Amino acid sequence: MRRFFPSFLLSLLSLLCFSPYAVVANPSTTSADSTSVSDSRSDYHEQLILRPLPLSALLASFNFRSNTSLSAFEAHNFRFFPRSLGQILQHAGTRELHLRFSLGRWDAESWGARPWNGAREGGTGVEMWAWLEAETDEEADHKWLTLTNALSGLFCASLNFIDSTRTTRPVMSFQPEGNHIDANATNMHLLYGVLPHEVVCTENLTPFLKLLPCKGKAGIASLLDGHKLFDSSWQTMAIDIRPVCPEDGECVLQIEQSIDMVLDIDRSKRPRDNPIPRPPPAHEMKCNTSKPYNAHDTCFPADSAANQDWSISQIFGRPIKGACPLTDPTVSPVCIQVPDSRVVFASEGAIEKKNPDQTSRCFDFPAENDFEIFLPAPDGSVEVVVDQLVNKPETPLLYAERSFTGHGQERGGVQTILRNPSPDQEVEFIYMESLPWFMRIYLHTISVRVDGQPGKADDSLIHEVYYRPAVDRARGTQLEVRMTVPPASTVFLTYDFEKSILRYTEYPPDANRGFDVAAAIITILNKDQSVGNSRFAAYNLRTTTLLCNLPTPDFSMPYNVIIFTSTAIALAFGGMFNILVRRFVAANEGPENGLKKGVNKLKAKLAGVLKKTKKGGDKKQGSIFAAAEEVTTEKTE
Amino acid sequence: MNGGKVTLGRTAGLYAGAAVLRLALFTLFPGLPDLLTGRVEISTPVTSFKRLQEGLFLYNHNVSPYDGGVYHQAPLLLPIFNLLPSFSTFPIFTYLLYIAVDILSADALLRIAESGEAGSSARFTSPRRDKRWSGAVIAALFLFNPFTIATCIGRSTTVFTTCAILHAIANAISGCHFHAMIALAFASYLSMYPLLLLPPLILLCYDRQKQPAGPRAPDAWIKFTGTMVMDVFGALAVLFQMSFMLTGSWEFLSSTYGVQLTLSDLTPNIGLWWYFFVEMFDSFRSFFLAVFWLHLSSYVGGLSVRLRQQPLVVITLLLGIFAIFKPYPSIADASLFLGMVPLYRHVFPLLRYSFVIAAIIIYATFLGPAFYHLWIYAGSGNANFFYAITLVWGLGLSLLVCDLAFAVLRDEWEVERPEMVGKEIRQI
Repeated sequence: MRRFFPSFLLSLLSLLCFSPYAVVANPSTTSADSTSVSDSRSDYHEQLILRPLPLSALLASFNFRSNTSLSAFEAHNFRFFPRSLGQILQHAGTRELHLRFSLGRWDAESWGARPWNGAREGGTGVEMWAWLEAETDEEADHKWLTLTNALSGLFCASLNFIDSTRTTRPVMSFQPEGNHIDANATNMHLLYGVLPHEVVCTENLTPFLKLLPCKGKAGIASLLDGHKLFDSSWQTMAIDIRPVCPEDGECVLQIEQSIDMVLDIDRSKRPRDNPIPRPPPAHEMKCNTSKPYNAHDTCFPADSAANQDWSISQIFGRPIKGACPLTDPTVSPVCIQVPDSRVVFASEGAIEKKNPDQTSRCFDFPAENDFEIFLPAPDGSVEVVVDQLVNKPETPLLYAERSFTGHGQERGGVQTILRNPSPDQEVEFIYMESLPWFMRIYLHTISVRVDGQPGKADDSLIHEVYYRPAVDRARGTQLEVRMTVPPASTVFLTYDFEKSILRYTEYPPDANRGFDVAAAIITILNKDQSVGNSRFAAYNLRTTTLLCNLPTPDFSMPYNVIIFTSTAIALAFGGMFNILVRRFVAANEGPENGLKKGVNKLKAKLAGVLKKTKKGGDKKQGSIFAAAEEVTTEKTE
Repeated sequence: MNGGKVTLGRTAGLYAGAAVLRLALFTLFPGLPDLLTGRVEISTPVTSFKRLQEGLFLYNHNVSPYDGGVYHQAPLLLPIFNLLPSFSTFPIFTYLLYIAVDILSADALLRIAESGEAGSSARFTSPRRDKRWSGAVIAALFLFNPFTIATCIGRSTTVFTTCAILHAIANAISGCHFHAMIALAFASYLSMYPLLLLPPLILLCYDRQKQPAGPRAPDAWIKFTGTMVMDVFGALAVLFQMSFMLTGSWEFLSSTYGVQLTLSDLTPNIGLWWYFFVEMFDSFRSFFLAVFWLHLSSYVGGLSVRLRQQPLVVITLLLGIFAIFKPYPSIADASLFLGMVPLYRHVFPLLRYSFVIAAIIIYATFLGPAFYHLWIYAGSGNANFFYAITLVWGLGLSLLVCDLAFAVLRDEWEVERPEMVGKEIRQI
């Protein structure tokens, strides 16, 4: 159910309009190639980081980064920077853009901290935010509309459905990542939109790959296949465009595309021809012999992660088709984060470089040959501790879970459980929700409670609240809360809301499925400026999306309702009108009304006819008619 | 004199009893107020206490409560509730305020009943007027009506409108026109629809004004009406100006009255509007909104003309019609109408369907919450269950309104035709 026709046409049109440029611009860029590579203003590199996670999961982080100098960008000289995107950005006056397509849930309890400290991920569905250059709010809204519609066509996503009800202007949660000369200037507008219901799929991946210089034909991008990517337990595709100004030299516009996915190794290795999981036969089963009840006929299955062998082509269905020739040769294209003690085989011609931290190694390989990595199952018994096979996952700064409370379709509550695992450090963060307008939240019910102190609200943990209430059919709720969680404690953040009933045309076709509520965004503030990948946020995380059930009317009976209600009103109005305008008379007074008049006339006529026949009958036949006459007179009386 | 003292003691006892009952319900069942506040039959989007608290919270935190979709009530309620000690720490003050408002309403109703206006107005005296209940009985019927009690415990802000309307009527009967008009302006400011009561209330004031010596000038009524209208609109202008100063913008107008006019919030209630406009086709929405409002206001003229001799009856019937057909009705509106009905004790023998009406009201009262539960919580019924019961409730009340109109008109007619008492009649 993808609807992007107008915007798609629009972007097509704009591409057509710009096409003469492409012809003119190309020769100049190719001639400049030789110089621009050397001065490294315009470069490209890509890297795949494989990190085995506990419980037979594998995190694959793809990262592609290219630059173009701002002057070349403004002169429409695109080299590695995707031209289609660049033109949209120029047209919509976008200074910085972040786009996320995500699916699934990151299991922080077993997988630990998120890749990139959560900076490159989004909530389920599509999320985007951008800094636009505009003089007024209206102009910013207009540019935002242009941008979403154009991107909707480019990425085959329903981004054009990000309307005013799904757009917010966050105040505390986001900071520009790039170097802006006038970062706090009034003409920079941050807009944020989210589509939690959007299903990310292959049609979003194809345009994503087309933006890459090697287009998924060579290099690590050749592993990206829709069947594998969207079969993963969790995946997020991110596009980040920001201006970067190095201390010496010219400012560049940087595009960073990244894909992070968590694959289930067992599931990925399952053969295509036999996709139904079946229990393995008894002799193939690996048992955990440390259990006391372990015997020849009893078996506790060993942790599957403890005994994994896998290779790239088993997991991704194909090997890497050689390095991308355009990539920066100083950056190794593939790295794998396993302890140095584990054996890793790579295909011929590859150079292995072990990093000094003893937990990761990288591989360089030529562009001509396919590249393959194979991790054999470790020798020896299955009791080998998982730590020796997999790096111990890093503990995240905060765990967050969000759920609905209450039952019924009238009202409910939202409860977010925030747990700080650190024994001595408190965590300060910004909690942001952008909720649909039909969830009417009651801010006066917001409360914070520390676990273990039941019934006692602790509002001192909330430092600052920014709240913009929803307006029916025009604007969603925006809630940003700056708060802290004390060390080694769990905090419950709760508030109530009411579910409103909508007009029947406002429900989607699957109304009883419920409405998706976008993920809450938690931005942990960076107190120590030297840590973290951003100057502002030390760590980002998003909760899962929620499904909110609204009361539904009966969709089958608009006509019946209109008829019934109108009848009730007509009865009341008619009854009253009747009483007010008509005169009272005694039951036997006044002119007769229509029906009674007719009946009386008929009676009179009948009586007349009978009288005549009686007179005639008396003369001729006598007794029989007389008897009949008696009966009729009795009746009339 | 002695009798007067007895009555005074009796009414004081009555009020004390009502207050103690409410206070007991508030304090002995701490969960009850919030339970009743959450009921759609009691709290509507424009009267809900929970929404009032949200508005108050936003007002206290420098967020405009009208820049959102939750708070749709009059701005002056905010400083009033802000003056009370915080609800979360001292709820008792809010409870006392609501109890006091209920008793003030009952007192106004008692004054209306004691005046005997229902039985003998300036232009018409019913032959049956002696057969009436005392003011204390009528006040008791209002105060101990389960609907009134539930409204009070549910802390719906309709009680303020009810109080203002009853005081407007009581003041009009006692000849204090200015006070009556101020009270009506307050009621209109709080809920908008009471403005439709202005024509019959002016008639009531005109009939009951203190007669100056000598014959009235033939066009005295024009001057009188002009003054009354000026009073109401002047008071409204002052209230609006105060609201403007309080909130700093005029956006409260569209948020309080605009919501009632456009029905943008479709939360279920006992009225007929919400489901109709849930199911309405988009292209006809504004047309039917206009038709529904026109229908609601169309009764004012007809009733005022036909029942010119008894303006109090017009007001009573209009209150009944509003309780059925206004955009966000609740049982609070029904309790006001049902509180006024006992004033017409003398025409009760002329009612034709009293048993049917009582049965329908009781039936709808019990089945409404059950069907709502089936729809929203159990999931075993759909929206049509609750919709059907609102239709029944509306039909039952409209039968009562029509029957009361019939009884009053027959009572009038029997003055002309005394020989027809107790005879069968018909309308032509």
